[in-house]
Amino acid sequence: MTENDANADCVHPIMLIERNTILALCVGRYIQISFRLCCSSLASVTCCCIDTLKKNSDLIADLFVPPLILYPSFSCCLLAPPEPHITECISRDQATFQCWWSPGNFHNLSSPGALRLFYINSLASEWKECPKYVHPNRECFFDNNHTSIWIPYCMQLRGQNNVTYYNEEDCFRVENIVRPDPPVSLNWTLLNISPSGLNYDVMVNWEAPPSADVKTGWMRIEYEIQYRAGNTTKWDALEMQRQTQQTIFGLHVGKEYEVHIRCRMRSFVRFGEFSDPIFIQVISSKGSTFPLTLVLVFGITGVLILVMLIVSSQQRRLMMILLPPVPAPKIKGIDPELLKKGKLDDLNFSSTGGGLGGPPTYATDFYQDELWVEFIEVDAEDAGTGEKEDNQGSDTQRLLDVPQPISHHMNIGFSNAVSFPDSDSGRASCYDPDVPDQDTLMATLLPGQPEDGEVKTSPAPERLLIRTQTAGPQTWFNTDFYAQVSNVMPTGGVVLSPGQQLRIQESTSGTEEEPQQGKEHKGSEDSEEEKEKEEQFQLLVVDPEGGRQAAESNTPQMFAPPSSPIPGEGYQTILPQPAETEPAATAEDGQSPYILPDSPQSQVFARVADYTVVQELNSQHSLLLNPPPRQSPPACRPQHPLKALPSMPVGYITPDLLGSLSP
Amino acid sequence: MHLVSVMRRCVWAVLLWPNLLTSSVPLDCRQEQGGVSRCSSISQEKLLDRVIQHAELIYRVSEESCSLYEETFIPLPLQFQRNQAGYSCRTLPIPSSRSEVQQISDKWLLHSVLMLVQSWLEPLVYLQTSLDRYDAAPEVIINKTKWVSEKLISLEQGVVVLIKEMLDEGLLNLNHSEEALFQYDVQPEMVESVMKDYTLLSCFKKDAHKMEAFLKLLKCRQTEIYNCS
Repeated sequence: MTENDANADCVHPIMLIERNTILALCVGRYIQISFRLCCSSLASVTCCCIDTLKKNSDLIADLFVPPLILYPSFSCCLLAPPEPHITECISRDQATFQCWWSPGNFHNLSSPGALRLFYINSLASEWKECPKYVHPNRECFFDNNHTSIWIPYCMQLRGQNNVTYYNEEDCFRVENIVRPDPPVSLNWTLLNISPSGLNYDVMVNWEAPPSADVKTGWMRIEYEIQYRAGNTTKWDALEMQRQTQQTIFGLHVGKEYEVHIRCRMRSFVRFGEFSDPIFIQVISSKGSTFPLTLVLVFGITGVLILVMLIVSSQQRRLMMILLPPVPAPKIKGIDPELLKKGKLDDLNFSSTGGGLGGPPTYATDFYQDELWVEFIEVDAEDAGTGEKEDNQGSDTQRLLDVPQPISHHMNIGFSNAVSFPDSDSGRASCYDPDVPDQDTLMATLLPGQPEDGEVKTSPAPERLLIRTQTAGPQTWFNTDFYAQVSNVMPTGGVVLSPGQQLRIQESTSGTEEEPQQGKEHKGSEDSEEEKEKEEQFQLLVVDPEGGRQAAESNTPQMFAPPSSPIPGEGYQTILPQPAETEPAATAEDGQSPYILPDSPQSQVFARVADYTVVQELNSQHSLLLNPPPRQSPPACRPQHPLKALPSMPVGYITPDLLGSLSP
Repeated sequence: MHLVSVMRRCVWAVLLWPNLLTSSVPLDCRQEQGGVSRCSSISQEKLLDRVIQHAELIYRVSEESCSLYEETFIPLPLQFQRNQAGYSCRTLPIPSSRSEVQQISDKWLLHSVLMLVQSWLEPLVYLQTSLDRYDAAPEVIINKTKWVSEKLISLEQGVVVLIKEMLDEGLLNLNHSEEALFQYDVQPEMVESVMKDYTLLSCFKKDAHKMEAFLKLLKCRQTEIYNCS
């Protein structure tokens, strides 16, 4: 029997269910067994379903909720058995009661008088007929004299010929079938309104039903108020109340509420009917409160969104302002990684930025700013300071050996890889402003670009340094920063490394450098050019072959100076990176962007590492430097026959060593 | 929700404990005075109030324990036949309809109440022993039954004093029926025992309600404010 079937025969809807009745039966198997076993314990034909949305939770057995969940909507109704039956018996005042019957499907018995109702109780020894019929309603009324409380009654229907329709379950005690009338005189008074003007409380009061004798204590009644907002269908129930008044809290101004009430005997389960509803509504006096609140809320939200947009768009700047980057400890021109490895040969002005793990871009920018500052200090002649900003990206990139394609800061310089911007003022004296360093820089910085090709296309004066297979920046072209002491003269003078000399030279002839620098990336030509230039300038020559030794450097970012051919070169070397590069490329790359021409003097002193260890002091307290050993060049051109230098001592001179050196 | 209401009522029962003590004051008063019939330490009105409260509480607790028992032990189909359980209740010769009740005298009211109370003293004791025999009877039911049994004794004493006070009768002998209504040594089967206990509980609930109604009617008559007809 499905729910639909039950509703089809619904005769007398019952809104309330007795406790412990229903649920499981309505949902489960009992329906099929006998409809009489369902819901109501009255002599009626069972109700079968229950509305789970109803708040009569005390009636809804807690135990049987789970099965009900599967059946969200029920409506309680009576199943009508086919035979004549008693539909319901109700007492309103615990002193009288009425019973109703139905002929069922026996329509021939529907005429008045065709069915007669008999009852029996423990006081009577036999069945007695109904004391008073109300035939239009098919009702039997038991007055005071015929009503006994606390004793069981049983009902029976008899037709003609003494045909009896009797159900054993149609027995009850009068106190158990009491359903009081609804309370009367329901009205409400406003208690208070909240300061915000949005909520209010009301006091609802009523009177006990007149039919229930509560004054004498014959019936003890408790009440239940239910209310709902005007447009909802779900009623909210308040706690059972014994007094005839109750407060409803938290109603909203402007909404219309519907309130109704019902009651039952205390400690019993059957509720009476609901009273007629009353309507509660309080109209707010301040009509502008609501819009004002809305405006405030939206305004604040809009401001918050604006602030967040600003913050997110200017995030980088804000981060810079709030959390200025801490510059990593660096020695300009020195790659700490190389230091750690003890390769003093490679220390020559190799880029450092990338090797340290790549400081954030903005940090790099700042750092580059510092370098530029250095540049500025070093070269007072620098013109076009404004250009520095543009160039700094590229230059410092080279300096710092940024591994990846540069950020937008860098991109400024890298925008045109092929063009040769003139502005290179920032560069130190090493460079000719005309030389388009940036392009080559950019070219090399961009990963995977064949620097060689590009470099070659570039006109001669490119100084470019960068030449790496990878995007690592490369050259360090400013040799101004470091001046190596290549040797100490017996007279006490110090011979500086070509870097310084270069600087000195540059100041005089800046353009002369170009050809040097330009040549490196070319193949063997470079070396030849180098040679030519070398003689012109007493500068360190960048050994084109040095690139091969780049294998010593582990990271592509590092500029491993060409250890073999030009160990002395230290300064800048842009080392071509990893050894995977074909030997063919060797000739071309590897050239440190800096071409350090061999100067006759440098022949003597050049080719020394940036740092040498002071081995001892001679009698005149002169420092005796131990030039680092020179590694044998691997099948490189012998263009730069450099001395074989001993292996470089690792590390700087520490105070300990210094102390040990003193005679 | 049911549990909450049960707990609430238990709390109420605990809180009203002192109230029950006070209802026994007249007895102490009586004992102190060495058998003097009148006790002036508590007014008759207050005594009646407390007796009524006592009866209300007993009815509430009995109703709760009956429901608990029903939920725990009685299968659903039989629950709908509970009205039929009234058949097995012992009926006493006391009025049951309201009209009759309204017509009987105060004396008869009080005596009816006393009769009711006394008729339940022994069955409740039997009920306790029967519940103890269960394997897994809920503690709540056992405790409630015990509590009701004790309070019923107090109620009896109170009603006796009321009778003495209001009706100016001498102390009644609290002689209970010697007839043993129940057999304690025989242990019936589980199902039969369950049905019997269920019948006992529901019948006691009914009679507790009756006691309460009678006492309230008596109170109404005493105050004479309303027409308690």
